[in-house]
Amino acid sequence: MLKCGMSGSQVKVFGKAIQALSRISDELWLDPSEKGLALRSVNSCRSAYGCVLFSPVFFQHYQWSTSVKVNENDSTTSNLNCKLGMKSILPIFRCLNSLERNVEKCKIFTSSDLCKVVIQFFCRHGIRRTHNVCFQESQPLQVIFEKNMCSNMLIIQPRVLAEAVVLFTSSQEEVTLAVTPLSVCLKSSSDEPMDLTSSVYSEMFVGPDEFDFFQIGADTEITFCFKELKGMLTFSEATHAPIAIHFDFPGKPMALSIDDMLLEANFILATLADEPSRASSPPSLCLSQKQKRSDLMCSTNNNSKTGKNATSKAPGCILRKAAPKRLYPNETQTDIPALENCGSPIMKRVNEDISEVPESSVSDTEEGPGSSYLRQFSCMFFGAVSSDQRQHFNYPFDSLATASDSEEDMNNGSSSTF
Amino acid sequence: MKFRAKIMDAACLNHFTWVSAMIAKLAKTCTLRISPQKLNFILSDKVANGGVSTWCELEQENFFSEFQMEGVSAENKAISLELMSENLSRVLKTAWNARALKSKLTNKHSPCLTVSIELLSVSSSSRIVTHDIPVKVIPRKLWKDLQEPTVPVSDVSIYLPVLKTMKSIVEKMKNISNHLIIEANLSGELNLKIETELATHFKDLGNPPSAPEDASQDRDPEQMAEVHVDIQKLLQFLAGQQVNPTKAVCNIVSNKTVHLDLLHEDVSLQYFIPAFS
Repeated sequence: MLKCGMSGSQVKVFGKAIQALSRISDELWLDPSEKGLALRSVNSCRSAYGCVLFSPVFFQHYQWSTSVKVNENDSTTSNLNCKLGMKSILPIFRCLNSLERNVEKCKIFTSSDLCKVVIQFFCRHGIRRTHNVCFQESQPLQVIFEKNMCSNMLIIQPRVLAEAVVLFTSSQEEVTLAVTPLSVCLKSSSDEPMDLTSSVYSEMFVGPDEFDFFQIGADTEITFCFKELKGMLTFSEATHAPIAIHFDFPGKPMALSIDDMLLEANFILATLADEPSRASSPPSLCLSQKQKRSDLMCSTNNNSKTGKNATSKAPGCILRKAAPKRLYPNETQTDIPALENCGSPIMKRVNEDISEVPESSVSDTEEGPGSSYLRQFSCMFFGAVSSDQRQHFNYPFDSLATASDSEEDMNNGSSSTF
Repeated sequence: MKFRAKIMDAACLNHFTWVSAMIAKLAKTCTLRISPQKLNFILSDKVANGGVSTWCELEQENFFSEFQMEGVSAENKAISLELMSENLSRVLKTAWNARALKSKLTNKHSPCLTVSIELLSVSSSSRIVTHDIPVKVIPRKLWKDLQEPTVPVSDVSIYLPVLKTMKSIVEKMKNISNHLIIEANLSGELNLKIETELATHFKDLGNPPSAPEDASQDRDPEQMAEVHVDIQKLLQFLAGQQVNPTKAVCNIVSNKTVHLDLLHEDVSLQYFIPAFS
């Protein structure tokens, strides 16, 4: 179903993408489509998502097809639902510099019968290295995020960001980006009182003239995970392309993206919501959402036979922090399907770790000692991607009671998916 | 209590960075003592460091183009701060390409040494970077522990061989035993021995001239003075010495202490290793 080939230097970029995504999670989806080969990764607590889409033009050759299974009454087309463990695939793309030097050609193809991805390196001196990686059948997750709707957008050369990143220790968990129309500041974020053993607080101001593009709608400060920023940065240095940062207010996810002729990379990161914790949202909100989510085998337009190109791929939601008992957030962006603005479970962050919070436990009892207020990350929910049109019709969106006008919006919405 | 200083010269900044990196290799926490003429890095937590103590001294005017300080009180014209040596070293390393570095003592939420760096970026526009290094102010009542250690009257004083050579030898010896015997005499011979009969001999090292009242005056030049020390402590000291110092003297007090006295251009470093008890 997937067959593609690339040269040695392309392997380096491909490998860098995998390395960048490995900072997000231990699992990688290989998702080929007519748009190209997408590599996707989501972290376990759903606060970071990365997708690198290599267009067919990136490869020396690229072939993709869906497989058609013929059952008794109907035929169902299915995508390559391929999930790989990072532990399996990362070592294959380990020494990228030597791969670039030695590999003349790299072929990646999937075997349709066995759940296997074959990666072959044709190296110098007639050496051929073949790796067979087994994959798990799993539908890739996607995020719908209207990055162009963000009021703040910065485009910066990776070199400048790299100079800022060097200031922070690798143990720094989060950084804060503070912007005003006149200046941009990247600083370490920590709300604990500093004592001798705390890490150093660092901040760097960058003037607007250092950005390729500078658009700030309103003064804002967003805090996000440092590790994921570094992941995106190393990838951008390999592609030599500028990084675009789209963001709004604290709590709303931010996007780091690279848009190039050959590839498109998007890292969607949750940002810390700034307000003190309120009473926890009813646990049932999380649980029921999960159930409903699994019921939703949403439509996609993977096979463009449907002709519904405008339909968004999946009703994944970017859920913002919302007051408990309120299912709709304060602001609604009208262009985004209302589905995206479902009430959000408040994900707790305990002891400053981004650890997986069980879906049903959102209670105040886990407050860490000494923390004066709880800070939460917005949680991003994702929809599953499926090419099964039939199921879409069987399970309309009224199961998500919050999105009353979702169906029209789904048809009219122009949200972009990654 | 106030402190404000500025470094404008790249060479001075490099040298200061190098000093802090050396201190960072010697101990995790150190005391920075600021006085009108001098800066001292002191590691004197005897219990934590296993009896080792370090005293590093530098003249502030050799480094800072501007230097203002106000001590704790009129009589006590000094400030003593405890900080993580790695923090200072790392902050200074980010300033390798700086146009200017300013440092001052601040108290935002807690006492900090704020280092403000004006960086010249590649695009030739300057950028301001600020770091707040958390520090702890050491109260006056604990200052007695921070005095310059008295140089013990040594039995033998000898110039050290090239430190890099010494380091590679001691590094190999540490795999064999934890227990190292350092012995030297007034004929310029230094031996490093391990109980299992492995020894390295350095010859023709030379001995510094001794003062008339020194005990070593009447000493037989061939007689060795020895100390048994923990090899790790010597190794830790040698690990911080990347560059060969201007002057390196080893003073041995038989069965008591090894006192290593180095001079790197204008920075003096003294390291005391006690004998195994």
